Amino acid sequence: MWENRCKVALSGVGFSKVTRSADIPLAAHALVAVKEAVADSGLRIEDIDGLATYPELPATGHAEVDGISIVSVNCMMAMLKLPNLAWHIQVGTVNIGGAVQQAANALLAGVCNYAVVWRAMHNPRGTYQNLPGQYAAGAAQFTAPYGFGGPGQGMAVAYTRWLERHGQSREKMATLAVTQRQHTQHNPHAYFYGTPLSREDYLASRMVAYPFCLFDCDIPVQGAVAIVLTTAERARDLKPRPAYLAGYGQRLHFEVAGRIGSLADYMEGGRSSAKLTWERSGFGPADVDVAQIYDGFSASVIYGLESYGFCKEGEALDFIQDGRIELDGDLPLNTFGGSLGTGRIHGLWHIIEGALQASGRAGSRQVKDANVSFVGASAPIVTGTTFIFSREPY
Amino acid sequence: MSDWSQVTRPIPVPNEWTRPFWKAAKRGVLALQRCQSCGHFQHPPYATCTQCVSTDLKFEPVQGRGAIYAYTIMYHTGDKRFASAVPYASIIVELDEAPGALLAGNLLGAEYTDAKVGRRVEIVFEKLNDDITLPQFRLAATERG
Ligand SMILES: [Zn+2]
Repeated sequence: MWENRCKVALSGVGFSKVTRSADIPLAAHALVAVKEAVADSGLRIEDIDGLATYPELPATGHAEVDGISIVSVNCMMAMLKLPNLAWHIQVGTVNIGGAVQQAANALLAGVCNYAVVWRAMHNPRGTYQNLPGQYAAGAAQFTAPYGFGGPGQGMAVAYTRWLERHGQSREKMATLAVTQRQHTQHNPHAYFYGTPLSREDYLASRMVAYPFCLFDCDIPVQGAVAIVLTTAERARDLKPRPAYLAGYGQRLHFEVAGRIGSLADYMEGGRSSAKLTWERSGFGPADVDVAQIYDGFSASVIYGLESYGFCKEGEALDFIQDGRIELDGDLPLNTFGGSLGTGRIHGLWHIIEGALQASGRAGSRQVKDANVSFVGASAPIVTGTTFIFSREPY
Repeated sequence: MSDWSQVTRPIPVPNEWTRPFWKAAKRGVLALQRCQSCGHFQHPPYATCTQCVSTDLKFEPVQGRGAIYAYTIMYHTGDKRFASAVPYASIIVELDEAPGALLAGNLLGAEYTDAKVGRRVEIVFEKLNDDITLPQFRLAATERG
Protein backbone atom coordinates (compact mmCIF):
# COMPACT_ATOMS: atom_id res chain seq x y z
CA MET A 1 0.00 0.00 0.00
CA TRP A 2 1.05 3.60 -0.65
CA GLU A 3 2.69 5.25 2.36
CA ASN A 4 0.98 8.53 1.37
CA ARG A 5 -2.50 7.06 1.24
CA CYS A 6 -5.05 9.66 2.38
CA LYS A 7 -2.39 12.26 3.18
CA VAL A 8 -3.71 14.65 0.51
CA ALA A 9 -7.32 15.77 0.16
CA LEU A 10 -9.52 17.53 -2.35
CA SER A 11 -11.23 20.46 -0.65
CA GLY A 12 -13.01 23.23 -2.60
CA VAL A 13 -14.54 23.00 -6.08
CA GLY A 14 -15.55 25.72 -8.53
CA PHE A 15 -17.45 26.00 -11.82
CA SER A 16 -17.81 28.64 -14.48
CA LYS A 17 -20.88 28.89 -16.68
CA VAL A 18 -20.83 26.28 -19.43
CA THR A 19 -21.87 27.82 -22.75
CA ARG A 20 -22.04 26.56 -26.29
CA SER A 21 -20.33 29.54 -27.87
CA ALA A 22 -17.23 31.43 -26.85
CA ASP A 23 -18.81 34.78 -26.02
CA ILE A 24 -16.18 35.79 -23.48
CA PRO A 25 -12.46 34.90 -23.41
CA LEU A 26 -11.72 31.54 -21.82
CA ALA A 27 -9.50 33.19 -19.19
CA ALA A 28 -12.62 34.74 -17.65
CA HIS A 29 -14.24 31.30 -17.30
CA ALA A 30 -11.10 29.90 -15.65
CA LEU A 31 -10.88 32.83 -13.24
CA VAL A 32 -14.50 32.37 -12.11
CA ALA A 33 -13.94 28.64 -11.51
CA VAL A 34 -10.70 29.18 -9.58
CA LYS A 35 -12.12 31.94 -7.38
CA GLU A 36 -15.18 29.83 -6.62
CA ALA A 37 -13.04 26.81 -5.66
CA VAL A 38 -10.90 28.94 -3.33
CA ALA A 39 -14.01 30.49 -1.73
CA ASP A 40 -15.62 27.03 -1.40
CA SER A 41 -12.63 26.01 0.71
CA GLY A 42 -13.01 29.14 2.84
CA LEU A 43 -9.58 30.33 1.71
CA ARG A 44 -8.41 33.67 0.32
CA ILE A 45 -6.67 33.93 -3.05
CA GLU A 46 -3.46 34.95 -1.20
CA ASP A 47 -3.43 31.52 0.50
CA ILE A 48 -2.92 29.75 -2.84
CA ASP A 49 0.74 28.88 -3.39
CA GLY A 50 0.58 26.14 -6.03
CA LEU A 51 -0.85 26.10 -9.59
CA ALA A 52 -1.26 23.24 -12.05
CA THR A 53 -3.13 22.62 -15.28
CA TYR A 54 -3.22 20.79 -18.58
CA PRO A 55 -4.06 23.51 -21.09
CA GLU A 56 -4.36 21.62 -24.41
CA LEU A 57 -7.08 22.47 -26.93
CA PRO A 58 -8.19 19.09 -28.31
CA ALA A 59 -9.85 20.63 -31.38
CA THR A 60 -7.53 19.98 -34.32
CA GLY A 61 -6.58 22.64 -36.82
CA HIS A 62 -7.26 25.60 -34.48
CA ALA A 63 -4.68 28.00 -33.03
CA GLU A 64 -3.86 27.87 -29.32
CA VAL A 65 -4.11 31.46 -28.09
CA ASP A 66 -3.38 31.83 -24.39
CA GLY A 67 -6.34 33.33 -22.53
CA ILE A 68 -8.71 32.79 -25.46
CA SER A 69 -8.49 29.16 -26.56
CA ILE A 70 -6.33 27.84 -23.68
CA VAL A 71 -5.54 29.01 -20.14
CA SER A 72 -1.93 28.20 -19.28
CA VAL A 73 -0.20 28.44 -15.90
CA ASN A 74 1.44 31.66 -17.10
CA CYS A 75 -1.95 33.13 -17.90
CA MET A 76 -3.35 32.20 -14.47
CA MET A 77 -0.24 33.53 -12.72
CA ALA A 78 -0.62 36.86 -14.49
CA MET A 79 -4.32 37.08 -13.55
CA LEU A 80 -4.04 36.05 -9.88
CA LYS A 81 -0.74 37.80 -8.93
CA LEU A 82 -0.30 35.36 -6.03
CA PRO A 83 1.99 36.89 -3.40
CA ASN A 84 2.88 33.51 -1.91
CA LEU A 85 3.19 31.41 -5.07
CA ALA A 86 5.79 28.69 -4.47
CA TRP A 87 5.20 26.01 -7.14
CA HIS A 88 3.55 25.47 -10.52
CA ILE A 89 3.49 22.98 -13.38
CA GLN A 90 1.87 22.26 -16.72
CA VAL A 91 1.72 18.57 -17.66
CA GLY A 92 1.83 16.98 -21.11
CA THR A 93 1.38 13.23 -21.13
CA VAL A 94 -1.74 12.39 -19.17
CA ASN A 95 -4.21 15.27 -19.46
CA ILE A 96 -5.63 17.00 -16.40
CA GLY A 97 -5.36 13.96 -14.14
CA GLY A 98 -1.60 14.30 -14.41
CA ALA A 99 -1.80 17.89 -13.18
CA VAL A 100 -3.85 16.75 -10.16
CA GLN A 101 -1.32 14.02 -9.41
CA GLN A 102 1.62 16.43 -9.70
CA ALA A 103 -0.11 18.85 -7.35
CA ALA A 104 -0.62 16.01 -4.85
CA ASN A 105 3.07 15.16 -5.14
CA ALA A 106 4.07 18.79 -4.55
CA LEU A 107 1.89 18.92 -1.42
CA LEU A 108 3.43 15.67 -0.17
CA ALA A 109 6.91 17.06 -0.86
CA GLY A 110 6.03 20.11 1.22
CA VAL A 111 6.83 22.62 -1.53
CA CYS A 112 3.34 24.17 -1.41
CA ASN A 113 0.34 24.10 0.96
CA TYR A 114 -2.75 24.95 -1.11
CA ALA A 115 -2.67 24.04 -4.79
CA VAL A 116 -5.28 25.03 -7.36
CA VAL A 117 -5.86 22.90 -10.48
CA TRP A 118 -8.16 24.01 -13.28
CA ARG A 119 -9.27 22.75 -16.69
CA ALA A 120 -10.56 25.32 -19.15
CA MET A 121 -12.04 24.21 -22.47
CA HIS A 122 -12.69 26.31 -25.53
CA ASN A 123 -15.20 25.72 -28.30
CA PRO A 124 -13.79 27.25 -31.47
CA ARG A 125 -15.99 28.59 -34.24
CA GLY A 126 -16.52 26.34 -37.24
CA THR A 127 -15.73 22.63 -37.46
CA TYR A 128 -14.22 21.29 -34.23
CA GLN A 129 -12.00 18.64 -35.80
CA ASN A 130 -10.36 19.59 -39.06
CA LEU A 131 -8.30 17.34 -41.28
CA PRO A 132 -4.93 18.84 -42.14
CA GLY A 133 -4.88 21.16 -45.15
CA GLN A 134 -3.69 20.06 -48.56
CA TYR A 135 -0.87 17.97 -47.07
CA ALA A 136 -0.73 15.41 -44.26
CA ALA A 137 2.61 15.28 -42.44
CA GLY A 138 3.80 13.25 -39.45
CA ALA A 139 1.53 10.54 -38.08
CA ALA A 140 -1.42 11.95 -40.07
CA GLN A 141 0.15 10.85 -43.39
CA PHE A 142 -1.16 7.33 -42.72
CA THR A 143 -4.63 8.34 -41.53
CA ALA A 144 -5.84 11.71 -42.90
CA PRO A 145 -5.76 10.68 -46.61
CA TYR A 146 -8.45 8.11 -45.74
CA GLY A 147 -10.66 10.65 -44.00
CA PHE A 148 -9.57 9.90 -40.44
CA GLY A 149 -9.73 13.24 -38.65
CA GLY A 150 -10.31 13.72 -34.94
CA PRO A 151 -10.19 11.27 -32.03
CA GLY A 152 -13.83 10.28 -32.56
CA GLN A 153 -13.06 8.07 -35.51
CA GLY A 154 -10.09 6.52 -33.70
CA MET A 155 -12.44 5.59 -30.87
CA ALA A 156 -15.14 4.46 -33.30
CA VAL A 157 -12.94 1.87 -35.03
CA ALA A 158 -12.02 0.28 -31.70
CA TYR A 159 -15.72 0.27 -30.81
CA THR A 160 -16.77 -1.66 -33.96
CA ARG A 161 -14.10 -4.21 -33.17
CA TRP A 162 -15.37 -4.53 -29.62
CA LEU A 163 -19.02 -4.83 -30.78
CA GLU A 164 -18.42 -7.42 -33.49
CA ARG A 165 -15.84 -9.48 -31.60
CA HIS A 166 -18.19 -9.80 -28.64
CA GLY A 167 -21.43 -10.13 -30.62
CA GLN A 168 -22.86 -7.01 -28.96
CA SER A 169 -25.22 -4.31 -30.22
CA ARG A 170 -24.83 -0.54 -30.00
CA GLU A 171 -28.49 -0.13 -29.03
CA LYS A 172 -27.57 -1.21 -25.49
CA MET A 173 -25.53 1.99 -25.15
CA ALA A 174 -28.83 3.90 -24.94
CA THR A 175 -28.97 2.90 -21.27
CA LEU A 176 -25.74 4.77 -20.57
CA ALA A 177 -26.79 7.91 -22.44
CA VAL A 178 -30.26 7.99 -20.88
CA THR A 179 -29.10 7.20 -17.32
CA GLN A 180 -26.37 9.82 -17.45
CA ARG A 181 -28.84 12.39 -18.78
CA GLN A 182 -31.10 11.58 -15.81
CA HIS A 183 -28.15 12.24 -13.49
CA THR A 184 -27.51 15.50 -15.35
CA GLN A 185 -30.88 16.77 -14.14
CA HIS A 186 -29.36 16.89 -10.63
CA ASN A 187 -26.41 19.03 -11.78
CA PRO A 188 -27.34 22.70 -12.39
CA HIS A 189 -23.84 23.48 -13.72
CA ALA A 190 -24.19 21.00 -16.60
CA TYR A 191 -24.86 22.08 -20.19
CA PHE A 192 -27.77 19.63 -20.56
CA TYR A 193 -29.37 20.49 -17.20
CA GLY A 194 -33.05 20.90 -17.98
CA THR A 195 -32.85 18.89 -21.22
CA PRO A 196 -34.00 15.29 -20.80
CA LEU A 197 -33.09 12.49 -23.21
CA SER A 198 -35.21 9.42 -23.92
CA ARG A 199 -34.23 6.01 -25.21
CA GLU A 200 -36.19 6.85 -28.37
CA ASP A 201 -34.21 10.10 -28.81
CA TYR A 202 -30.97 8.13 -28.60
CA LEU A 203 -32.02 5.41 -31.02
CA ALA A 204 -33.38 7.92 -33.55
CA SER A 205 -30.41 10.29 -33.47
CA ARG A 206 -28.22 10.83 -36.50
CA MET A 207 -25.03 8.86 -37.06
CA VAL A 208 -21.75 10.78 -36.79
CA ALA A 209 -19.15 8.04 -37.15
CA TYR A 210 -20.74 4.61 -36.87
CA PRO A 211 -21.14 3.13 -34.27
CA PHE A 212 -21.28 6.61 -32.68
CA CYS A 213 -24.48 8.58 -33.02
CA LEU A 214 -24.79 12.19 -31.88
CA PHE A 215 -25.52 11.22 -28.26
CA ASP A 216 -22.40 9.06 -27.99
CA CYS A 217 -20.28 12.21 -28.33
CA ASP A 218 -19.90 14.95 -25.72
CA ILE A 219 -20.88 18.38 -26.99
CA PRO A 220 -18.04 20.93 -27.39
CA VAL A 221 -18.56 23.81 -24.97
CA GLN A 222 -16.77 26.75 -23.44
CA GLY A 223 -16.23 26.49 -19.70
CA ALA A 224 -13.90 25.78 -16.80
CA VAL A 225 -13.83 23.89 -13.51
CA ALA A 226 -11.29 24.08 -10.67
CA ILE A 227 -10.30 22.44 -7.40
CA VAL A 228 -8.26 23.16 -4.29
CA LEU A 229 -5.96 20.39 -3.11
CA THR A 230 -4.16 20.45 0.21
CA THR A 231 -2.67 18.13 2.79
CA ALA A 232 -5.16 16.06 4.77
CA GLU A 233 -4.22 17.86 7.98
CA ARG A 234 -4.84 21.31 6.51
CA ALA A 235 -8.00 20.13 4.73
CA ARG A 236 -9.62 19.23 8.05
CA ASP A 237 -9.42 22.90 9.11
CA LEU A 238 -11.15 24.14 5.96
CA LYS A 239 -14.85 24.71 5.31
CA PRO A 240 -15.92 21.60 3.35
CA ARG A 241 -15.54 18.03 4.48
CA PRO A 242 -12.38 16.73 2.73
CA ALA A 243 -12.30 13.92 0.18
CA TYR A 244 -9.14 11.94 0.90
CA LEU A 245 -6.95 10.78 -1.97
CA ALA A 246 -6.46 7.09 -1.22
CA GLY A 247 -4.47 6.32 -4.36
CA TYR A 248 -3.86 7.16 -7.99
CA GLY A 249 -2.35 5.75 -11.18
CA GLN A 250 -1.59 6.72 -14.75
CA ARG A 251 -1.47 4.72 -17.96
CA LEU A 252 1.92 3.13 -18.57
CA HIS A 253 1.29 2.04 -22.14
CA PHE A 254 0.98 3.98 -25.34
CA GLU A 255 0.42 3.09 -28.94
CA VAL A 256 2.83 4.36 -31.58
CA ALA A 257 1.59 7.65 -33.05
CA GLY A 258 -0.55 7.09 -36.12
CA ARG A 259 -1.48 3.54 -35.14
CA ILE A 260 -5.18 3.64 -34.47
CA GLY A 261 -7.94 1.28 -33.61
CA SER A 262 -6.11 -1.23 -31.44
CA LEU A 263 -8.53 -2.40 -28.79
CA ALA A 264 -5.71 -4.27 -27.04
CA ASP A 265 -3.84 -0.99 -26.53
CA TYR A 266 -6.91 0.64 -24.96
CA MET A 267 -7.26 -2.20 -22.52
CA GLU A 268 -3.58 -2.26 -21.61
CA GLY A 269 -3.62 1.49 -20.94
CA GLY A 270 -6.54 1.18 -18.53
CA ARG A 271 -5.26 -1.95 -16.80
CA SER A 272 -1.86 -0.41 -16.08
CA SER A 273 -3.35 2.71 -14.50
CA ALA A 274 -5.96 0.84 -12.45
CA LYS A 275 -3.42 -1.70 -11.15
CA LEU A 276 -1.37 1.10 -9.58
CA THR A 277 -4.51 2.64 -8.10
CA TRP A 278 -5.81 -0.58 -6.54
CA GLU A 279 -2.37 -1.44 -5.14
CA ARG A 280 -1.73 2.02 -3.69
CA SER A 281 -5.20 2.47 -2.19
CA GLY A 282 -5.62 -1.07 -0.90
CA PHE A 283 -9.09 -1.16 -2.44
CA GLY A 284 -10.40 -3.31 -5.29
CA PRO A 285 -13.29 -2.96 -7.76
CA ALA A 286 -15.66 -4.75 -5.35
CA ASP A 287 -15.03 -2.07 -2.68
CA VAL A 288 -16.14 0.82 -4.91
CA ASP A 289 -19.41 2.52 -3.94
CA VAL A 290 -19.61 5.04 -6.78
CA ALA A 291 -17.63 5.51 -10.02
CA GLN A 292 -16.94 8.30 -12.49
CA ILE A 293 -15.50 7.02 -15.78
CA TYR A 294 -14.49 9.35 -18.59
CA ASP A 295 -17.07 9.47 -21.35
CA GLY A 296 -15.96 11.99 -23.95
CA PHE A 297 -17.11 9.26 -26.33
CA SER A 298 -19.49 6.72 -24.81
CA ALA A 299 -17.30 3.73 -25.69
CA SER A 300 -14.60 5.01 -23.32
CA VAL A 301 -16.86 3.85 -20.52
CA ILE A 302 -16.77 0.30 -21.93
CA TYR A 303 -12.98 0.27 -22.06
CA GLY A 304 -12.86 1.78 -18.58
CA LEU A 305 -15.30 -0.63 -16.91
CA GLU A 306 -13.49 -3.60 -18.44
CA SER A 307 -9.85 -2.57 -18.16
CA TYR A 308 -10.22 -1.22 -14.61
CA GLY A 309 -11.69 -4.57 -13.58
CA PHE A 310 -15.37 -3.76 -12.87
CA CYS A 311 -16.52 -6.43 -15.34
CA LYS A 312 -15.08 -8.91 -17.82
CA GLU A 313 -14.08 -8.03 -21.38
CA GLY A 314 -17.06 -8.03 -23.71
CA GLU A 315 -19.59 -7.60 -20.89
CA ALA A 316 -19.69 -3.84 -20.21
CA LEU A 317 -22.86 -3.14 -22.19
CA ASP A 318 -24.68 -5.88 -20.28
CA PHE A 319 -23.15 -4.74 -16.98
CA ILE A 320 -24.70 -1.25 -17.25
CA GLN A 321 -28.29 -2.54 -17.72
CA ASP A 322 -31.13 -3.09 -15.24
CA GLY A 323 -30.49 -0.04 -13.08
CA ARG A 324 -27.00 -0.99 -11.95
CA ILE A 325 -25.52 2.42 -12.80
CA GLU A 326 -28.43 4.50 -11.46
CA LEU A 327 -28.04 6.57 -8.29
CA ASP A 328 -29.47 3.75 -6.14
CA GLY A 329 -27.87 0.93 -8.16
CA ASP A 330 -24.94 -1.35 -7.31
CA LEU A 331 -22.46 0.91 -9.10
CA PRO A 332 -23.78 4.44 -9.61
CA LEU A 333 -21.85 5.75 -12.61
CA ASN A 334 -21.11 9.27 -13.84
CA THR A 335 -23.48 10.64 -11.23
CA PHE A 336 -22.94 14.26 -12.33
CA GLY A 337 -24.04 13.41 -15.87
CA GLY A 338 -20.57 12.72 -17.25
CA SER A 339 -19.13 14.70 -20.14
CA LEU A 340 -22.19 13.60 -22.14
CA GLY A 341 -24.25 15.70 -19.71
CA THR A 342 -21.95 18.57 -18.72
CA GLY A 343 -20.34 19.20 -22.10
CA ARG A 344 -16.70 18.65 -23.07
CA ILE A 345 -14.63 19.79 -20.07
CA HIS A 346 -12.36 16.70 -20.03
CA GLY A 347 -11.71 14.73 -16.85
CA LEU A 348 -11.46 17.30 -14.05
CA TRP A 349 -15.23 17.29 -13.60
CA HIS A 350 -15.08 13.49 -13.13
CA ILE A 351 -12.46 14.06 -10.41
CA ILE A 352 -14.60 16.77 -8.79
CA GLU A 353 -17.64 14.50 -8.70
CA GLY A 354 -15.59 11.63 -7.29
CA ALA A 355 -14.53 13.92 -4.44
CA LEU A 356 -18.00 15.42 -3.89
CA GLN A 357 -19.50 11.92 -3.59
CA ALA A 358 -16.79 10.86 -1.12
CA SER A 359 -17.30 13.94 1.03
CA GLY A 360 -21.11 13.71 0.96
CA ARG A 361 -21.47 17.01 -0.89
CA ALA A 362 -23.24 15.85 -4.06
CA GLY A 363 -26.66 17.24 -3.11
CA SER A 364 -29.72 15.61 -4.67
CA ARG A 365 -27.51 13.18 -6.61
CA GLN A 366 -25.61 12.01 -3.50
CA VAL A 367 -25.12 8.25 -3.44
CA LYS A 368 -26.13 6.86 -0.04
CA ASP A 369 -23.22 5.75 2.14
CA ALA A 370 -20.66 6.51 -0.54
CA ASN A 371 -17.28 5.81 1.00
CA VAL A 372 -14.95 4.51 -1.70
CA SER A 373 -15.23 6.69 -4.80
CA PHE A 374 -13.44 5.72 -8.05
CA VAL A 375 -12.48 8.02 -10.93
CA GLY A 376 -11.16 7.19 -14.39
CA ALA A 377 -10.34 10.70 -15.53
CA SER A 378 -9.54 10.24 -19.24
CA ALA A 379 -9.85 7.68 -22.00
CA PRO A 380 -7.75 4.73 -20.80
CA ILE A 381 -5.20 4.63 -23.61
CA VAL A 382 -4.91 8.21 -24.71
CA THR A 383 -4.28 10.09 -21.49
CA GLY A 384 -5.68 7.84 -18.80
CA THR A 385 -5.40 8.45 -15.07
CA THR A 386 -7.32 6.82 -12.23
CA PHE A 387 -8.04 7.90 -8.65
CA ILE A 388 -9.73 6.72 -5.50
CA PHE A 389 -11.18 9.20 -3.03
CA SER A 390 -12.46 8.06 0.34
CA ARG A 391 -14.75 9.52 2.97
CA GLU A 392 -12.55 8.40 5.85
CA PRO A 393 -8.74 8.93 6.07
CA TYR A 394 -7.85 5.26 6.43
CA MET B 1 -21.47 2.94 -53.18
CA SER B 2 -19.33 5.84 -51.98
CA ASP B 3 -18.39 8.25 -54.76
CA TRP B 4 -14.71 9.07 -54.33
CA SER B 5 -14.37 10.92 -57.65
CA GLN B 6 -15.03 14.35 -56.12
CA VAL B 7 -12.90 13.81 -52.99
CA THR B 8 -9.60 15.69 -52.65
CA ARG B 9 -7.50 13.76 -50.16
CA PRO B 10 -4.80 15.36 -48.01
CA ILE B 11 -1.50 14.34 -49.64
CA PRO B 12 0.96 12.41 -47.45
CA VAL B 13 4.32 14.09 -46.80
CA PRO B 14 7.06 11.43 -46.58
CA ASN B 15 9.75 11.90 -43.92
CA GLU B 16 12.97 10.13 -42.90
CA TRP B 17 11.06 7.19 -41.42
CA THR B 18 8.37 6.81 -44.03
CA ARG B 19 10.05 7.62 -47.36
CA PRO B 20 10.72 3.95 -48.32
CA PHE B 21 7.04 3.13 -47.75
CA TRP B 22 5.90 5.80 -50.22
CA LYS B 23 8.66 4.97 -52.73
CA ALA B 24 7.49 1.37 -52.82
CA ALA B 25 3.81 2.40 -53.03
CA LYS B 26 4.63 4.51 -56.08
CA ARG B 27 5.84 1.29 -57.77
CA GLY B 28 2.66 -0.52 -56.72
CA VAL B 29 4.39 -2.43 -53.92
CA LEU B 30 3.36 -2.49 -50.29
CA ALA B 31 6.54 -2.46 -48.18
CA LEU B 32 6.48 -2.46 -44.39
CA GLN B 33 9.19 -1.80 -41.85
CA ARG B 34 10.66 -5.07 -40.59
CA CYS B 35 12.97 -5.71 -37.68
CA GLN B 36 16.11 -7.47 -38.91
CA SER B 37 16.77 -8.89 -35.44
CA CYS B 38 13.45 -10.56 -34.59
CA GLY B 39 11.57 -10.50 -37.92
CA HIS B 40 8.64 -8.40 -36.59
CA PHE B 41 6.73 -6.29 -39.16
CA GLN B 42 5.34 -2.98 -37.96
CA HIS B 43 3.27 -0.05 -39.21
CA PRO B 44 3.34 2.91 -38.91
CA PRO B 45 7.16 3.07 -39.16
CA TYR B 46 8.96 3.80 -35.92
CA ALA B 47 12.47 4.48 -34.59
CA THR B 48 12.76 1.08 -32.93
CA CYS B 49 11.25 -2.37 -33.23
CA THR B 50 8.18 -2.22 -30.99
CA GLN B 51 8.79 -5.84 -30.06
CA CYS B 52 12.54 -6.15 -29.29
CA VAL B 53 13.74 -2.49 -29.32
CA SER B 54 16.30 -3.18 -32.09
CA THR B 55 17.12 -0.24 -34.35
CA ASP B 56 18.06 -2.53 -37.25
CA LEU B 57 14.96 -1.95 -39.38
CA LYS B 58 14.44 -2.32 -43.14
CA PHE B 59 11.44 -2.10 -45.45
CA GLU B 60 10.40 -5.40 -47.04
CA PRO B 61 7.59 -6.09 -49.52
CA VAL B 62 4.47 -7.89 -48.31
CA GLN B 63 1.58 -9.32 -50.30
CA GLY B 64 -1.10 -7.01 -48.96
CA ARG B 65 -3.73 -9.58 -48.07
CA GLY B 66 -5.43 -9.48 -44.72
CA ALA B 67 -8.62 -8.92 -42.80
CA ILE B 68 -10.58 -5.92 -41.57
CA TYR B 69 -9.47 -5.43 -37.97
CA ALA B 70 -11.83 -2.54 -37.27
CA TYR B 71 -13.77 0.11 -39.16
CA THR B 72 -15.99 3.14 -38.88
CA ILE B 73 -18.58 4.51 -41.26
CA MET B 74 -18.32 8.26 -41.64
CA TYR B 75 -21.54 10.25 -41.86
CA HIS B 76 -20.20 13.55 -40.54
CA THR B 77 -19.38 16.07 -43.25
CA GLY B 78 -17.19 18.34 -41.14
CA ASP B 79 -14.43 18.18 -43.75
CA LYS B 80 -16.12 19.31 -46.95
CA ARG B 81 -13.52 17.59 -49.15
CA PHE B 82 -14.92 14.21 -48.10
CA ALA B 83 -18.57 15.25 -48.07
CA SER B 84 -19.39 13.78 -51.50
CA ALA B 85 -18.30 10.29 -50.39
CA VAL B 86 -20.43 10.22 -47.21
CA PRO B 87 -21.32 7.69 -45.93
CA TYR B 88 -18.00 5.93 -46.47
CA ALA B 89 -16.08 3.18 -44.71
CA SER B 90 -12.69 3.95 -43.19
CA ILE B 91 -11.11 0.68 -42.25
CA ILE B 92 -8.14 -0.66 -40.29
CA VAL B 93 -6.52 -3.74 -41.81
CA GLU B 94 -4.31 -6.35 -40.20
CA LEU B 95 -2.17 -8.13 -42.81
CA ASP B 96 -1.64 -11.89 -42.79
CA GLU B 97 2.12 -11.47 -42.93
CA ALA B 98 2.32 -8.68 -40.39
CA PRO B 99 0.15 -9.38 -37.34
CA GLY B 100 0.01 -6.31 -35.13
CA ALA B 101 0.79 -3.89 -37.97
CA LEU B 102 -2.38 -1.91 -38.59
CA LEU B 103 -2.97 -0.08 -41.90
CA ALA B 104 -5.69 2.48 -42.43
CA GLY B 105 -7.58 2.61 -45.72
CA ASN B 106 -10.98 2.99 -47.31
CA LEU B 107 -13.04 0.07 -48.53
CA LEU B 108 -13.13 0.78 -52.28
CA GLY B 109 -15.52 -0.72 -54.82
CA ALA B 110 -17.98 -1.95 -52.23
CA GLU B 111 -21.01 -0.77 -50.33
CA TYR B 112 -20.05 0.87 -47.05
CA THR B 113 -22.28 -1.70 -45.35
CA ASP B 114 -19.87 -4.40 -46.60
CA ALA B 115 -17.32 -3.36 -43.98
CA LYS B 116 -17.33 -5.96 -41.20
CA VAL B 117 -14.66 -7.02 -38.75
CA GLY B 118 -12.87 -10.09 -40.07
CA ARG B 119 -13.80 -9.76 -43.77
CA ARG B 120 -10.95 -10.52 -46.18
CA VAL B 121 -9.43 -7.63 -48.10
CA GLU B 122 -6.56 -7.08 -50.52
CA ILE B 123 -4.42 -4.12 -51.46
CA VAL B 124 -5.09 -1.82 -54.41
CA PHE B 125 -3.24 1.36 -55.28
CA GLU B 126 -4.76 4.78 -55.86
CA LYS B 127 -2.52 7.33 -57.58
CA LEU B 128 -2.85 10.79 -56.01
CA ASN B 129 -0.17 12.62 -58.03
CA ASP B 130 3.19 11.93 -59.70
CA ASP B 131 4.89 11.39 -56.36
CA ILE B 132 2.29 9.80 -54.13
CA THR B 133 0.31 6.63 -54.64
CA LEU B 134 -1.99 5.64 -51.82
CA PRO B 135 -2.33 2.02 -50.68
CA GLN B 136 -6.05 1.21 -50.45
CA PHE B 137 -8.18 -1.89 -49.97
CA ARG B 138 -10.99 -3.76 -51.67
CA LEU B 139 -12.78 -6.94 -50.68
CA ALA B 140 -10.81 -10.06 -51.57
CA ALA B 141 -12.08 -12.08 -54.57
CA THR B 142 -13.54 -14.72 -52.24
CA GLU B 143 -15.61 -12.01 -50.49
CA ARG B 144 -16.75 -10.32 -53.71
CA GLY B 145 -18.60 -13.48 -54.66
ZN1 LIG C 1 12.55 -6.74 -33.25
